[in-house]
Amino acid sequence: MTADIGRVPSSAGRTPLTLWSRVYGFGSVFAKTLRDSRLAIIIVAGLLAGLMLSSGAAFGEAYSTVASRADLANLVANLPPAMTGIYGNPFPVMIETLGGSIAWKTGASIGLIAALWSVLALSATLAAEARRGSMELVAVTPLGLRRIALEKLAAHLTAMAIVVVVVAASTWLAGAAFATLPGDEIPLESAVGFGAWVGLVALASGSVAFALAPIVGRGASAGIAGAVLVGGYFLNGYQASVPAFAGVANLTWFGWTVHHQPLTGQPDWTSLAVVAIVPAILFALGVEAFARRDLGSTSRIPWPGFPEALIGLRGPMSRSFGERLPLALAWGLGVGIFGFIMGAAARSFGEELANISPATLDIIQAVFPNIDLASGAGAFLQLVFVEFGFILAGFAAATFVAGWASDETSGRLEMLLTTPMARARWAIAAGLGVFGAIALFTALLATGIGLGAAIGGGDVVTPILGTVVLGLYGLALAGIGLAVGGIVRTSIAGEAVAAVVIVTFLIALVAPALKLPDWVYQLALTAHLGQPMVGIWDPAGMVACLVLAVVGLGLSGWGLSRRDVAA
Amino acid sequence: MTAVIETEALTKSYGPHRGIVDVDLLVDEREVFGFLGPNGAGKTTTIRTVLDLIRPTSGRALVFGIDSSVDPVAIHRRVGYIPGEFTLYDRLTGRQTIEYFANLRGGVDKAYQASLIERFDVDPSRKFKEYSKGNKQKVGLVIALQHRPELLILDEPTSGLDPLVQQSFYALVREASAEGRTVFLSSHILSEVERTCDRVAIIRDGRIIKIDRVDALRDLAHHQVELRFVDGVPVAEFEALPGVSEVVVDDHTLRMRVSGAITPVVRAAARYELLDFVSREPSLEETFLAQYGQEAVKTSRS
Repeated sequence: MTADIGRVPSSAGRTPLTLWSRVYGFGSVFAKTLRDSRLAIIIVAGLLAGLMLSSGAAFGEAYSTVASRADLANLVANLPPAMTGIYGNPFPVMIETLGGSIAWKTGASIGLIAALWSVLALSATLAAEARRGSMELVAVTPLGLRRIALEKLAAHLTAMAIVVVVVAASTWLAGAAFATLPGDEIPLESAVGFGAWVGLVALASGSVAFALAPIVGRGASAGIAGAVLVGGYFLNGYQASVPAFAGVANLTWFGWTVHHQPLTGQPDWTSLAVVAIVPAILFALGVEAFARRDLGSTSRIPWPGFPEALIGLRGPMSRSFGERLPLALAWGLGVGIFGFIMGAAARSFGEELANISPATLDIIQAVFPNIDLASGAGAFLQLVFVEFGFILAGFAAATFVAGWASDETSGRLEMLLTTPMARARWAIAAGLGVFGAIALFTALLATGIGLGAAIGGGDVVTPILGTVVLGLYGLALAGIGLAVGGIVRTSIAGEAVAAVVIVTFLIALVAPALKLPDWVYQLALTAHLGQPMVGIWDPAGMVACLVLAVVGLGLSGWGLSRRDVAA
Repeated sequence: MTAVIETEALTKSYGPHRGIVDVDLLVDEREVFGFLGPNGAGKTTTIRTVLDLIRPTSGRALVFGIDSSVDPVAIHRRVGYIPGEFTLYDRLTGRQTIEYFANLRGGVDKAYQASLIERFDVDPSRKFKEYSKGNKQKVGLVIALQHRPELLILDEPTSGLDPLVQQSFYALVREASAEGRTVFLSSHILSEVERTCDRVAIIRDGRIIKIDRVDALRDLAHHQVELRFVDGVPVAEFEALPGVSEVVVDDHTLRMRVSGAITPVVRAAARYELLDFVSREPSLEETFLAQYGQEAVKTSRS
């Protein structure tokens, strides 16, 4: 027997999208993905814009005379190749201009950070959702796997476009705000050229992860793409000092675009077009791999796990620390290597500066009277690392707090709190696990800086102790995040910390530049932390950090005890 | 009997959203108590309030005589709980997850823990993220049961379990009851409540609408009676009987719904020559249907 149910019109049952759905990100896979990326966009755009503006401000302030610029150019021209390439740009040009200086010192780092984000985002966008099962629900809608992959990809491309616009705008703004000599202005097309390079290099790196993720899963694809990215960055940076690297460096997108220097008026658009081919091909491969393979099925790459003692099964504190451990190691090793390179470069930089440009040394000494570059690694680290280090420590704290919050946001807390454990105990013990992760991050960073300082020369102990101040800053921000999570809700705790990091950085950057009242500058916690790498301590600020950490931890326990646990 | 769970006018409001209203429950020691209702009726909200995961807007919940808002830890010490939906640590294996919760409680009998893992056929060496939904549920059940709690609060516990494991679960519930422990079982699977529970409460729109023994509920419910007469159908006589409603005549067949005792219908029918007499005892599902109406049952199944 057959039954004719008739033909349903194709438009039947199709709910019209409300404006609210569109605005809030529920109108499509694209919009939902973009919505889920909003925190990352804010962090990355804020970080890169901050880096650009702080580089511009520092250059404008330190090199405001023709003589000092000439000295700087002379210094850089005579630096050993190993030093020249330390910032990832082995062939600096027009270093005496604001654009040239930014391109040499900060440009490659901005590209590296954007690329790291792209790798993390594109390795997860399909694979992570497939693994947790939500992709199956999306996949059985009438969209089709290719379209889902394309919409998710389009969302990342849009996110990257937003970041590129912010980078280009901040580059142009740095030129407009901090130009002190003719030639410092950065034309809009130059800023756009730089932004385009950042976006394309980032997408090329991310596309490796995107193409591999459907095959090997999120972690392995991120690892492989990350290795390609970091390897390419360093091979390119050191190709001038290690000729053997040059051949391999020319296989990387960093090498292809090494002569694209738009901030000095020397763009190489052809090289950008070549780079653009990489993501175009790899994105297509990734979409096809996702569409053709079994959903969520990946080939496992053998990888050693943590020893069971470190996983943390004894209680909420050890569990919280165990959960944060991989992230703490990643942050600590990453920033620690950066600190190591900075510390190791100190001697070479100081000696060259003293030999080639005593006048520049005098200028730096006049602007930063407590910093004697001839004294060793600490001074160099204070000059070039600490400000960035505070930002990184803050964002590390934000990710640890977000992990702490995930017990509640994922629904685990419901089961945990029906064991004989008071809410306050969970909040405080798990918060202490977060503090432990920050301590590990700080220890690894201190190790990197200590080893670097030992190579760089001078006092080793002071920079190591100075790193502790970065850790205290991280603890303070974590305390704020824990308090927000306990009292208000945990789902915004990580965002709250990230917001404090960005606001603090902007206050410290903008208040002096705009000559705002001193009390505005004093609002920034970093204004009260002295110059730790050279042993100038501010006990009040350090105590304030500890108080924020301890009080925040206590408030998290108190707050959680008084409110409903989220379902 | 001692009350293990007692709620007094327990109310939880979520602003414009419905919570629970004036929920009065009394669950006795050693009882297997079913808590039945469609999705969104307020089952989970009631449980979360009883466990102090959320705080009541008014009223109170006592567990083992302890106010849940006053000393929840003392309650949790004696409770095993599995939520309706949960997620645990992706990077831990099943064994590590179970061990962690055992550590949080302390004093877990390792042999009993191992027997549960075996009975539920859990592969403890796999990472939690690699488990299927049913296997995650099994790990959750081991966590809830491993410390032999005096009170088991189970929110839709058989969700995702295959029939064989469901049987193991039902056997464990029976064992728990036989050992003098109390079970509070929230479900929207009617057959599960019918076969497992001593008493059942039905909740709808945040309000308890019926509490009774499972058997009594069934007795209280209607019978569907069908009489096939040799001659004409005496409709008026049957319509006048107490408890009879929804009378339908189809040729020589009379169908009716009979609430309460069926004896008057039997006596009346005995006076006529019948070809057939069919009285169907209602299932709990039909009781549920009578309480909620067709729409609610559809909702509970969705």
